Amino acid sequence: LKTLHLGSCVITTNLQEMRNGFSEIRDHVQAEDEIIDVRILRKMVSLQDTEPAGQCCLLRHVLRLYLDKVFKNYQTPDHHILRKLSSLANSFLTIKKDLRLCHDRMTCPCWEEAMEKYSRILSHFEELKPREAVVKALGELDILLRWMEETE
Amino acid sequence: DGVAVLTAPQNLSVQSTNMKHLLTWSPVVVPGEIIDYFVEYQGEYESLYMSHIWIPSSWCSPTENPECDITDDITATVLYNLRVRATLGSQTSAWSTLKHPFNRNSTILTPPGLEVSKDGFHLVIKLEDLGPQFEFLVAYWRREPGAKEHIKMVRNGGVPVLLETAEPGAAYCVKAQTFVKAIGRHSAFSQAECVKLQGEALSL
Repeated sequence: LKTLHLGSCVITTNLQEMRNGFSEIRDHVQAEDEIIDVRILRKMVSLQDTEPAGQCCLLRHVLRLYLDKVFKNYQTPDHHILRKLSSLANSFLTIKKDLRLCHDRMTCPCWEEAMEKYSRILSHFEELKPREAVVKALGELDILLRWMEETE
Repeated sequence: DGVAVLTAPQNLSVQSTNMKHLLTWSPVVVPGEIIDYFVEYQGEYESLYMSHIWIPSSWCSPTENPECDITDDITATVLYNLRVRATLGSQTSAWSTLKHPFNRNSTILTPPGLEVSKDGFHLVIKLEDLGPQFEFLVAYWRREPGAKEHIKMVRNGGVPVLLETAEPGAAYCVKAQTFVKAIGRHSAFSQAECVKLQGEALSL
């Protein structure tokens, strides 16, 4: 398990298990993404380059995006992929619950930088057609997992 | 969809020990026939965001046994709904759903198996291999009045671990408990095992 230090919000998460799970479906999901010159999770809005105090807020909003608009809108007949995505979604749900506790303890403040970065991520997501956005966001899960990995 | 003629499986329950989770149910009996069972699950995410979605279990869709190892499907510390139905040819039973959702944080954690041995003047232990989610907290002390208890965290079971370079003739006792970070819980301590540098391991 990895401990994530997001400013004064500290949580533990099964990051390696999530990476292992995603690696089993990455090629399949990324192969569905036909829009190769666009990225939703861009370097300039990355978690690790965000002020520590705002990292919790940014991650909380990005996880909500995935939970509300990505996982639930991806259909597949492939049971293996379904299981792996379920595993990721339920792990994200667990993280989001932990971040919610930080929010309740006032250790997850939302300031301008984090909100401005999130709105850019959201606009990159909404510039795409719904199906394209879902597929691209899923394909970029390794970027998000790496962001979490690299928060110190 | 086949006509629901078969009786649905009854008495669903989950036995979970050391993060191994087994779903069991009462078998559906049709004399002279083999019944197939299909197990499906739904994590908290699915039940909250897409409640119509059920996912076929990794190992039991189908299975002929009235039980299913769901360990590989329960991969997060959230509530899981589980359901089973029986089929016989084109006949299909209704789904039976586990009465109370299962969360892996309710698993029973047993004290770990522990072997204490000596390698010359080295005190060596070997802990039961319970899988990658298990860490171990080992407590050891010299068996003499007022002895201080030492603590050591051991990440993996199944491999010998050097605990202490001991003095000739000294007797040491060791006990251990498991810790599962994913659910934030630990087991009770094992029985203490003692060994005297020249003697055999003594059980208290």
